[in-house]
Amino acid sequence: MDGSTRAPPAAGDRRPRDLRADFFRGMALWFIFIDHIPGNWLGNLTLRNLALSDATEAFVLLAGYAAGIAYGAALDRDGWLFAGAQVVRRVGTLYVAHIVLFVMFTAQVGLSAATLDAAIYIDELHLDAFGQEPYRALLEALLLRFQPAFLNILPLYIVLLLQFALLLPLLRHPRLLLALAVVFYAVVRAFNLELPTWAGGGWFFNPLAWQLLFFIGCTLGYRAPDGARPPLAIRWHWLLGAAVALWLVFTFVLLFLGWHRPNLGLLAPRWFTGLLTDVDKTSLHPFRLLSILALTYLVAHAVPIGAAWLRSRMAAPFVLMGKQGLPVFCSGILFAFLGRLALEQSDRWTMQAAVNLAGLLSLVAVGALAAWYKERERAPRAATPQPVTPGRPA
Amino acid sequence: MRIPCAALLGLMLLATAASPVQAGPCDAPAEWLDSDAPLPITAEAVREGALRILVVGSASVLGPGSSGPAAAWPARLEARLRALRPGLRVEVAVRGGRGLTAADMLTLLDAAANPPPHLVIWQAGTVEAARGVDTDWLATRLDAGLTKLGERGIDAVLMDQQFSRFMRANADIEPYRAVLRIAAATHGVPLFNRYELMQHWADNESIDLERTPREGRVAAADRLGECLGQSLAALILDAVADALVTRP
Repeated sequence: MDGSTRAPPAAGDRRPRDLRADFFRGMALWFIFIDHIPGNWLGNLTLRNLALSDATEAFVLLAGYAAGIAYGAALDRDGWLFAGAQVVRRVGTLYVAHIVLFVMFTAQVGLSAATLDAAIYIDELHLDAFGQEPYRALLEALLLRFQPAFLNILPLYIVLLLQFALLLPLLRHPRLLLALAVVFYAVVRAFNLELPTWAGGGWFFNPLAWQLLFFIGCTLGYRAPDGARPPLAIRWHWLLGAAVALWLVFTFVLLFLGWHRPNLGLLAPRWFTGLLTDVDKTSLHPFRLLSILALTYLVAHAVPIGAAWLRSRMAAPFVLMGKQGLPVFCSGILFAFLGRLALEQSDRWTMQAAVNLAGLLSLVAVGALAAWYKERERAPRAATPQPVTPGRPA
Repeated sequence: MRIPCAALLGLMLLATAASPVQAGPCDAPAEWLDSDAPLPITAEAVREGALRILVVGSASVLGPGSSGPAAAWPARLEARLRALRPGLRVEVAVRGGRGLTAADMLTLLDAAANPPPHLVIWQAGTVEAARGVDTDWLATRLDAGLTKLGERGIDAVLMDQQFSRFMRANADIEPYRAVLRIAAATHGVPLFNRYELMQHWADNESIDLERTPREGRVAAADRLGECLGQSLAALILDAVADALVTRP
């Protein structure tokens, strides 16, 4: 899956940072921002329009990749207990971030209902679960059983990391880890296992199924001390490349007939377009999984790890965003709130352009700010020689 | 400077009555009133002179905010069909209510018998989007419902969500619209694109409930019901015509 250009690191040698992962995570974060604003025109240009997977898949895979690098190194250095505890600390940060965003979202619903005087809509929509049963809603939100729209990725990430903390030592046995993840994924899908929500039904993203993609990312990112190759780091073979490309073409045709041009889809055989009905995002349908892995295979081999353009000025903002994944992600969710409020006021092209420009600039600014903090905090330490800690994942 | 809503409505009705069928009623873009799929059972019923329609949906079928159920789109659809096809006996039954999910609607669909309708207008996906129910849940239930209607020999038209800036800002509407669109495409049933129609009317400021001052809101809701009813009638009759053409 991963590029074949990487040499096993010599002992004591710090592995060069994979800028490709940073760049594509930065892109994914930008796409998540865009896709979190319904009615945003750029939403017609993001990955979800072309493939059966979107920025969420890319984000989870790359989050796993980063976790495999950072916590894998921590595991080898400090052992399971401490590395696991570090993962749990990160979970705590994510949880707090989620609750803060929840409070902001709830305030926004109230505000925009008031400004639009949209009582009719609220009434119909049951959007004001908070207004009807505030104490219950608060409790359910704290239990992650109440996830308002757009606030479903962080809960997914939280439960993914909790599973990761438990299985951390299996990073050293990647084949076993992948086998377990595949079996669990199959069981979860076969028996429709899901985490409960307040309203009934399961989570928007089922972490018990999405773990497979996350763990695939982990095994790709983890660098074994003995330099063993990750089992899924498949070398380039033109036959496999062609098969993967064919798959992506096939899924695009499916998407085109079922979604972009349903009127043409009616001319296609029913069983064919019917395939699309079953492709759920909730529990990461195998088609979606295959699509993101196919994309990863192509991209990882098309872009060598040291590609010059990754250091270019055009790529720099995305690399920067990708490096500071967590703050950029959280503020992206927040900026998307503001963007939605703005588009609620006006939908014209000027506002569309303003929202997207301000959004992207703000995301880059957050990335720069976070990088600056990190750099300044690390600077005094550089005076005394210490083992370098790898960057934390998003 | 604002022309009173009722006057505007009157003007539009005049305009649509006078002009040939280039744009749809209420200036609805013709592309959304063109059915992609035929409605053969409905066409047969129209030919025999009696058409029973069942409307199943959530709150909007009752016309909240309007002057009453008679101004809601199901009633306006009935009136429009009667006006366009004077010889046709049209009965429109409405089953639905606030907060109903697709699962609740499945029971309503099953209960519809004695005699069964020829055509079901199924408005779905709003409550699921508002509550953030996982999309697969909705897709499974739509699939079950449409499959069963097909087996029972009943035509179906799916209707998607209302366009609302508030809704769009506060609920993740797109995945749920996608589910409806894909369900319609895979079952070969027409999709009444209410969302795009209402967005069109909001964009050209002809009907915009959220921007209408309070005192004009009831009139605007009535006008919305009228325009949706007329547009839906146009879509159904187009699908009926398609069915007659494709018949040998």
